[in-house]
Amino acid sequence: MARIDDIPEPTRSAVLGLPCPPFADQPFLSGPPLARRRVAIISSAALHPRGTPPFPAGTPEVRMLPADLPAASLLMSHISINFDRTGFQRDINTAYPTDRLRELAAEGVIGGVAETHYAVMGSTDPRTMAATADQIAGQLRQERIDAVLLTPV
Amino acid sequence: MIESRGVPAVAIGLVRPHLEATRAPRSLFVPFQLGRPLGEPGDAAFQRRVLLHALGLLERTDGPVILEDFAEDAPNERDTPGWRPPFALPAPPSADLPAALAAEIAHLRPWWDSAQARFGRTTVGLCGLPPEAWPGYAGPFLDGDVPEAPSAFSPALTLRYLADDLKAFCMEAVQAEGPAASSRQVNAWFWGGTAAGRMLLALRGVAQASEEKGLQTIARFLVPVPWLPADHQ
Repeated sequence: MARIDDIPEPTRSAVLGLPCPPFADQPFLSGPPLARRRVAIISSAALHPRGTPPFPAGTPEVRMLPADLPAASLLMSHISINFDRTGFQRDINTAYPTDRLRELAAEGVIGGVAETHYAVMGSTDPRTMAATADQIAGQLRQERIDAVLLTPV
Repeated sequence: MIESRGVPAVAIGLVRPHLEATRAPRSLFVPFQLGRPLGEPGDAAFQRRVLLHALGLLERTDGPVILEDFAEDAPNERDTPGWRPPFALPAPPSADLPAALAAEIAHLRPWWDSAQARFGRTTVGLCGLPPEAWPGYAGPFLDGDVPEAPSAFSPALTLRYLADDLKAFCMEAVQAEGPAASSRQVNAWFWGGTAAGRMLLALRGVAQASEEKGLQTIARFLVPVPWLPADHQ
């Protein structure tokens, strides 16, 4: 069990102190059944292909990750040292469930998997990321993605 | 942010107060430790249940805000009874921390290789140096020197990435065999007895006391506060 009271201090206070303004609008979009939707992941784990630069601290940028990139080709450069890495070390799906999505697509539970997934630096102030959200949304529309799974760490 | 740009989205969230505050269209709160939104490493069936619950919210029509709780805890967050590292650490050859670290890295190297075979990959690779070069790069910092960085990163940033790589190297090595340890057990082993842990603690002290701004900045990103010895907090 790891609810908020189980997070050790001072991480707990830092996490609870993060500003979480509600969204300015409250859209609620509908779509086709899951079996006809193509799903993309947006991870806040600062994942990037091996051999590319780590995420700088505070960057609002997004890294576009080809969905077929092997797990061995991905590194995590999140600035925070206050979340667990051992699960990710054992199994990338603990934070970035690409294998599980592919399985659901093969079984027809979802309509398909996007060609591109997305990674950002989770500690970045979201108020600086509007242009990044536009960039991601543009790529999502280009690939005709109609379901996004957000997996913050 | 994404839904307002025209694409339906669902979030798997680890901090319920954040989900309550942001009032995103669809959220699944999961009671797992930070860093594990899918909960259980190596358990595809468990991860699948999390994923199906979250994706299922996309078919709901009773918005504008849906926040649900995942009902299961992740079993591996409890300590594994009787877990022990698959190897004993080498006795430090001297009080010389870089030498002790070099001996430890050499000792752990075959276990790290085994871990890569077991897990199909490594998460080591940020700093651009091979493990055998880490003591030689990090050691001079203890004497107040700032060695030239081997890459485009600054010396301080290279040290910070080296710290991440060192932790990953050791923690992967200790998970190379046997039943899965909990995160707490792996961290207790690392911070409680390894030369690597002692090295990072010493580097933290040096970085904190340094007049070099880059080192001061990275000092906070070497040792998690919960694992600092009482006399360092």
